[in-house]
Amino acid sequence: MRLEHWWFTVPLRFRSLFRRGRVESELDEELRFHLERKTEEGIAEGLSPEDARLRALRAMGGLEQKKEEARDTWHVRWLTDFVADVRYAARSLRRTPGLTAFVILTIALGIGMTATPLSMLDALVFRPYPVPRAGEVVTLVSTSRDNAFDSFSYREYLDIRDQVKSYDGVVAHTQLKTVGFSPQAREIPRIRGALLVSGNFFRALEVEPRVGRGFRDDEDRALGRDAVVVLGPGFWKSEFASDPSVVGRTIRLNGRDFTVIGVAPESFTGLSIFDRPDFYVPLAMAGSFTTNPEKRFFEDRDDRELMVRARLRRGVSFSEARHELTALAKNFERDHSGTNRDRGATVHTMLEMRTQATDHNWKFAVIFTTLAFVVLLVACTNAAGLLLARSRARTREIAVRLAIGAGRFRLIRLLLTESLVLAVLGGLGGIAVGYAGISAMQKFSIPAEIPVRIPFHMDARVLSASLALSVLSALFCGLAPALQSTHVDLVNGLKAADVDEPGRRRLWGRNALVVAQVAMSLMLLAAAFLMYRGFQHSLREGLDFAADAKDHVLLARFDPRLAQYDAERTRRFYEQLVQRVREKLEVKNAALTQNPPLGLEGYDLITFVPEGFEMPRDRDVFASQMDTVDEGYFETMGVPILRGRGFRASDDAGATRVAIVNEHFAKHYWPEREAVGKRIRLGGRADAPVEIVGIAQTIKSDDGPRGSEDFVYLPVAQHPVARLVLLVRSTGDPLQLLEPVRQVVRSLDPNMPMLKTMSYAELYRYAVVTGPGVAVKLVGTLGAVALLLAVAGLYGLVAYNVSRRTREIGIRMAIGARPRDVLRLVMKKGLTLVAIGTIFGLAMGFGVERLMNSMIFDAGGVDLLVYLVVVPLMVLATMLAAYVPARRASKIAPTLALRYE
Amino acid sequence: MSKPADLVQGTLDLLLLKLLALQPLHGWAISLRLRSLSGDVLQVSEGSLYPALHKLEQEGWIRAEWKQTENNRRAKFYSLTRLGRRQLESETESWQRLSSAISAVVQLSEA
Repeated sequence: MRLEHWWFTVPLRFRSLFRRGRVESELDEELRFHLERKTEEGIAEGLSPEDARLRALRAMGGLEQKKEEARDTWHVRWLTDFVADVRYAARSLRRTPGLTAFVILTIALGIGMTATPLSMLDALVFRPYPVPRAGEVVTLVSTSRDNAFDSFSYREYLDIRDQVKSYDGVVAHTQLKTVGFSPQAREIPRIRGALLVSGNFFRALEVEPRVGRGFRDDEDRALGRDAVVVLGPGFWKSEFASDPSVVGRTIRLNGRDFTVIGVAPESFTGLSIFDRPDFYVPLAMAGSFTTNPEKRFFEDRDDRELMVRARLRRGVSFSEARHELTALAKNFERDHSGTNRDRGATVHTMLEMRTQATDHNWKFAVIFTTLAFVVLLVACTNAAGLLLARSRARTREIAVRLAIGAGRFRLIRLLLTESLVLAVLGGLGGIAVGYAGISAMQKFSIPAEIPVRIPFHMDARVLSASLALSVLSALFCGLAPALQSTHVDLVNGLKAADVDEPGRRRLWGRNALVVAQVAMSLMLLAAAFLMYRGFQHSLREGLDFAADAKDHVLLARFDPRLAQYDAERTRRFYEQLVQRVREKLEVKNAALTQNPPLGLEGYDLITFVPEGFEMPRDRDVFASQMDTVDEGYFETMGVPILRGRGFRASDDAGATRVAIVNEHFAKHYWPEREAVGKRIRLGGRADAPVEIVGIAQTIKSDDGPRGSEDFVYLPVAQHPVARLVLLVRSTGDPLQLLEPVRQVVRSLDPNMPMLKTMSYAELYRYAVVTGPGVAVKLVGTLGAVALLLAVAGLYGLVAYNVSRRTREIGIRMAIGARPRDVLRLVMKKGLTLVAIGTIFGLAMGFGVERLMNSMIFDAGGVDLLVYLVVVPLMVLATMLAAYVPARRASKIAPTLALRYE
Repeated sequence: MSKPADLVQGTLDLLLLKLLALQPLHGWAISLRLRSLSGDVLQVSEGSLYPALHKLEQEGWIRAEWKQTENNRRAKFYSLTRLGRRQLESETESWQRLSSAISAVVQLSEA
């Protein structure tokens, strides 16, 4: 019944909406027909045609009114009114093209500035996992004192999977692993990214493969038996041209043949933000992908490489799940005290996982977004101020409308429609600005081995957020002027063109707007400068080596496991590689490291106990970042050894175990005494000690904005690693060494792939120049835009005041005021506002500084220099903004001014 | 205007539906028919008639069609839809309930 009802009525409504003209004329004709019949009736009764017509008209009570009544029954009144309002708004906005363009531009800038940070924030924090019912997917983490977001080992995962009851499916996956891929045997492998996943991965996440199938449970049971692979959609497209017959084919991964059984769907981009796996391989095949030869992935309970995700069962609360896992972690601690001591476990939502305290990216996104909102606020304030001035000029028009019977509400609606039109146009412009910003972000290249995906898009989510923001800003900009201007005194409004009484009350709103603008843009400028100074500060120390290395060092990564080397062959390969490269003419030095300073991979952590150090009661071990290097490392990289010695070739597997620590480390644990000769026990109290033989200068090791940290170097001969970076220091341009190095590698083994090769300058640029540069530029742009808007706002206010007071100024000058007096009169007001705004802005600036220091930079206190630069800049710019119109006022000729109006 | 013509609230819809159930009519014919069928007792002003017709049309109970009248003039003829027929039935029923209830009360003899 209901549906049927709509079936009839909806088309009718649409008809009356879209075919107004037609409907109107039909109504006309219908009523005319009636009138004619009625007139004929009168004639038949013997009246004259004229009288008959009059009587008929009277009886019908006026055609127009009838029509209006009929029209009201169409229920589309509000919509047609709206359309009329929009038309009217467009017309009246066209009458003031300059102001309209300025307001639209202002809003476009405001909205556009928010789009880029919003897209970052969305990608880094809010965008749900690309799986059905993503809200149910939680992450299980192991917790220790040094790492609140640790992974689980394979054994632990199996126990969790089999024992917990809160979930519909518990899956595990590794981090993205670099693998050597070749479409056929015999081809030199290329580097791709693979994810090892548990057999239930696709099923539990409810990801339906696009082609073929996902893994079966039994394919993840027998270790090393089922060499099957699911391709990532992007890889399938680029490598196999989206050929569905790829299922069943074999490809080679790390030297082993894998059968393709399926392709993941386009929509499934993986659970991590930055990388997109090219392959998914069952965990049971981990033997072919292991990275740490000292650990046995399937047995060691402390080889923690697995991210564990689970789908919360319906009806199970989050805290129940958390309790269950905590209890299980207690059992682990009891049953495996060796590996699980002081180790707990907990469950985190996606949001908690993405907003880890140690991660900087999301914090930048939060700060950017907050600052961008401030810019939007400044823009809106500006637009509101302009609209307010405009509505003031329209007082008479509004008064006339009110006088002839327009409802106040109706008028407010009309005025709000105007600001809505402005905001929507501004919003569209803003989307264009934002789009440009986001594409600029996407050009930003990261020198990683596997291409890193910059996940910032102008997608539907960002678009709708931008549009919603424009509508909100329309309300914000339009409401105050609308309320105020419909509140006019009718009599005065009709009499005078400008009803402003000289009282202060009416201008209070505009003044507050300018104060707010000055304050906010001062804060933004301070934030931009603080960001710059923060990076500068964090880059000031520990980068001497890099300034030199960037022009001389070449990097090339190797992983001999890709060519099926065992540990012994790997050792020999590296030995010969370094030796032969050193023999080349242009080579000054060559060395090996696991990860060069400022590299992107992040360092491993080691736990240790320093000898002769009073351990705090509540902890058994300390943790520090570490790198494995060879004897040439410090010289090649240009990192000076301050005391003691560097590594020697004699520090091999048979010799005393040694380590080198950085100065920060030495001062940290032995502040009073000499650290050289002290011993630390790696692992824990019970493990074998290593002797500290040298202290290296503290260098900046990663690209984060934090200051210096503890660091331990271990000799690669005593701690063999398969994946290493060859560092080559040249006498000239390092890239010229690329070919000679390649020749050496080819002469050693033609099948050995060289992974990422680049000059050290590339890493340096990313970590020191472009990375911080992007952040500074973003905030700087925000600050500059805000300053521009504030200057425009202030200029507008002063100019408006001058134009309103032209007659007054004329009188003052006629009775003897000098131009200087007028200048002072006009500027005093503007400068008072600037002064008040500056005070508020300073307070807000201090607030932002504390926020940034606590979130990103390890710094405290107030950076005075920032304010010494920013405040005068602000004051100067705003003074200029006030001066220009004030000067014009002082040039007013009294005779002209008195005739004004 | 004319006292007797005042219709009980809500009955105009019912009357219009009933008239149109008999045959499709245009507005003028409806007003004539209403007058003659009720022996000049019921009279509907144009000011009520057309809005009522448009409302019925919006509700989907009647549909309008431009047709030629008997003396070759174009006029808008209204006819009942299926939905309108159902509405007529239910309104007739409730009218009968109401009117019999009222007459039962009115005809109570005073003791």
